[in-house]
Amino acid sequence: MKIHVITEQRDGKWNPVSSETLVAAQQIAAAPPGSRVAAVVIGKEVRGLAEEAAANQLAEVLLVEHDLLERYTPDGYAIALRQVVTQTQPDLVLLPHTYQVRDYAPKLAASLGKGMIADCVGYRPEKDRIVFVRQMFQGKTAADVSFTGVPPWFVSFQAGAFRGDQVARGASAAPITAIKVDLQAEQIRTKPLELFREAKQAVDLTQAPILVAIGRGIKAPENIPLAEKLAKLMGGELAASRPICDEGWLPMDRQIGSSGQTVAPKLYLALGISGAIQHVVGMKGSRTIVAINKDQNAPIFEVADYGIVADIFELIPALTEVLEKK
Amino acid sequence: MERERLDADVLIVGAGPAGLACALHLARLIRQHNESGCKPELSTEGIYVLEKGRDLGAHQLSGAVLDPRALAELVPEFAKTAPLDTPVNDDAAYFLTASRAWKLPITPPPLRNHGNYIISVSKLAKWLGGLVEQAGVNVFTQFAGAELIHEGEAVAGVITEDKGRDRDGKPKDNFTPGYELRAKITVLAEGPRGSLTKHLVEDKNLGGLNPQVYSMGVKELWEVLPGRIKPGWVAHTLGWPLDSSMYGGGWIYGMQDNRVSLGLVTGLEYHNPRFDPHEAFQRFKTHPFVRRILEGGKLVRYGAKTVPVGGWYSIPRTYLDGCLIIGDSASLLNSQRLKGIHMAIKSGMLAAETIVEALRAGDRSAAKLSVFRRKVDESWIGRELLSVRNFHQSFQHGLWRGLAHTAVQFVTGGRGLVDPMRMKAGYEQYHKLDGAGPAPPRFQGDGVLTFDRLTDVYHSGTRHEEDQPCHLHVLDTNICVNRCVFEYGSPCQYFCPAAVYEMVEEKGGRRLKINFSNCVHCKTCDIADPYQIIDWVPPEGGGGPNYEGM
Repeated sequence: MKIHVITEQRDGKWNPVSSETLVAAQQIAAAPPGSRVAAVVIGKEVRGLAEEAAANQLAEVLLVEHDLLERYTPDGYAIALRQVVTQTQPDLVLLPHTYQVRDYAPKLAASLGKGMIADCVGYRPEKDRIVFVRQMFQGKTAADVSFTGVPPWFVSFQAGAFRGDQVARGASAAPITAIKVDLQAEQIRTKPLELFREAKQAVDLTQAPILVAIGRGIKAPENIPLAEKLAKLMGGELAASRPICDEGWLPMDRQIGSSGQTVAPKLYLALGISGAIQHVVGMKGSRTIVAINKDQNAPIFEVADYGIVADIFELIPALTEVLEKK
Repeated sequence: MERERLDADVLIVGAGPAGLACALHLARLIRQHNESGCKPELSTEGIYVLEKGRDLGAHQLSGAVLDPRALAELVPEFAKTAPLDTPVNDDAAYFLTASRAWKLPITPPPLRNHGNYIISVSKLAKWLGGLVEQAGVNVFTQFAGAELIHEGEAVAGVITEDKGRDRDGKPKDNFTPGYELRAKITVLAEGPRGSLTKHLVEDKNLGGLNPQVYSMGVKELWEVLPGRIKPGWVAHTLGWPLDSSMYGGGWIYGMQDNRVSLGLVTGLEYHNPRFDPHEAFQRFKTHPFVRRILEGGKLVRYGAKTVPVGGWYSIPRTYLDGCLIIGDSASLLNSQRLKGIHMAIKSGMLAAETIVEALRAGDRSAAKLSVFRRKVDESWIGRELLSVRNFHQSFQHGLWRGLAHTAVQFVTGGRGLVDPMRMKAGYEQYHKLDGAGPAPPRFQGDGVLTFDRLTDVYHSGTRHEEDQPCHLHVLDTNICVNRCVFEYGSPCQYFCPAAVYEMVEEKGGRRLKINFSNCVHCKTCDIADPYQIIDWVPPEGGGGPNYEGM
């Protein structure tokens, strides 16, 4: 059986899950006699990586280089790898189940009219076929899946399904074969921009020393800038109780309470927050809690260090004015 | 959309006492069948149980006093391992007025509970589920049946709910489409007002002679000061805070470790659309008789759930091609004894027997599965339900006439003066308001003995992924703002025990705001909305209350 592993690299650095997939290939190849494993290294000027890969116990390393493969694009990878598969005719193509693979591999398989078994956690050789195991129902059960029809067959393995450190090294370096692919700029319909890591949270309320939190008492989204201005003058961040975020008036990452964040700032100014227990559990650890609410029976006053029974629309402008004068 | 498909022999929707008993008995019967060498060989691996709760038992709520009759049939050695908490050793019935409690000289026979156990049905389900898994059956928690698969006239399985949609229904990064679970036989064991059962009964016109009618139970679990209540003491109350036109009553059960289970059951067929069952329960706790027990103690957990009380004449057709309906979903509950767990278990077992016969014969037709209904009728379930077949209906004209009817029924084996006694659906019983007068102020609670609904919801452990579509479908909110407000004063704000529904006044007018993440999955809104425009569908699996230990 001819097994090809499509490795993954970016900017000349391996995605370590590549070696896990190599291990999978080496293990699968151990059973059917005459099996051989080849690693595919794809990119621009990646011969160095191909040489590194050749140190593993492999029949061959297939080097796929093209200027248009410098940056990953789904079109570029799918078109190039289709040519590789057509030219080299493997039986089994193994991929690591990365975000990138999730992006292009279905397209690659479909362009060859083949199916793909994605996100597998293991395999089991049977007499005349290989059964791949993938999880269902959030890992509560496993399904055995196998291919019908003729090769090539595409399979991707979940990260962690195999141990990358178990990759077998070769006695001598595997030969490197360059594969020429034909790729035109106009075939690539997307243009990759700069890579960036999405900030996990735009604001980190847990680190803010002062929080100005608004509740239903703010009444309408038009009134939020009032509180925002006050927060800015106080050197704090704006937070809210659930109804405000539920209405979409503020993003969810500003929600305090059992279904939001738990905070303990030096000062917590609660504006028009009734103090339902769901909110209080997220802020009761604050050092000083100041609550302003029209309703003197509001439960927020039970946890507040200072309570002001007042209309927030009178108090916010007054506080703002004082702070602006300073 | 392309979905992953899984083929099962038997798919059970709902891991309550009925569904789990069905699965456990089925696994045992399959083993016996295979050991006998009969063909075709059957497998327990082809049985799947779906449960929308986070864990086994998470959505199970009841009083609960268990009649162990069926459990003894299902697990003969149950007394050794089942979580039975406390045997009942004393029972009493009281009639409450606003300030007094009158003990009835004798406890009416249906409320006698010697030989029964005070249990947590959540713990029972967890324990039963463990046995089911040991027997080799797959139980998938955090998966709900979202929609039935039909093949011609037959039910052929369910599609589970999609996971990872945002509030507008758009797929998020973690989007996983629901699975297509095909089954030879689908068993609906969804409890009261199952979301699949409801539509199936409507679409196929399976309803019984009477429509199903429901009560709603609001429950709290308390830890009280030592000596306030005897473990094993079971009390039921009639009267205050409900008036004599209403059906329902309270319960107080003494459990181990100074824990008290108490609650109030209200028939969802009252006339005043602004009646608030949660508030009534809070008031119930302020009665001197109840306050005496609770004072100095603390609230541990909260929950609410509906109860099907229609009984015999509300049983829907329970068998279709490829499908059975069991337990509460099938109206198998004795409303006079306030008990359904024993019938749920028994019906699960009878369904299992029917299913094995069907699998053996390779025949899943309604005709073959109709054996289930015959088994129910011929078992003690049939006898027990027949003897109280007119009980609930007798109370539609108030408590006093109900009690008089009940006495006659008692001596005539259930027949009574009118048989069958008919009944309207609960939502048809509201009296319209004269215009939308000012709403009475909402109950606040003192935070010690009584609580507002949000505080109680907190104690139900309810959690939902917030960024998902609202699972309470209101088919036409124009009715809410243009008609309901004036005709009934928006009863959804009052009957919901979890503060899900809010009519908010805005500049532009009124708007119905649905705080779906508070939902405790009791189904009251689906049942009690006067226009029947609320459709409760399962949210993303795992969401909902956490009734562990309740």
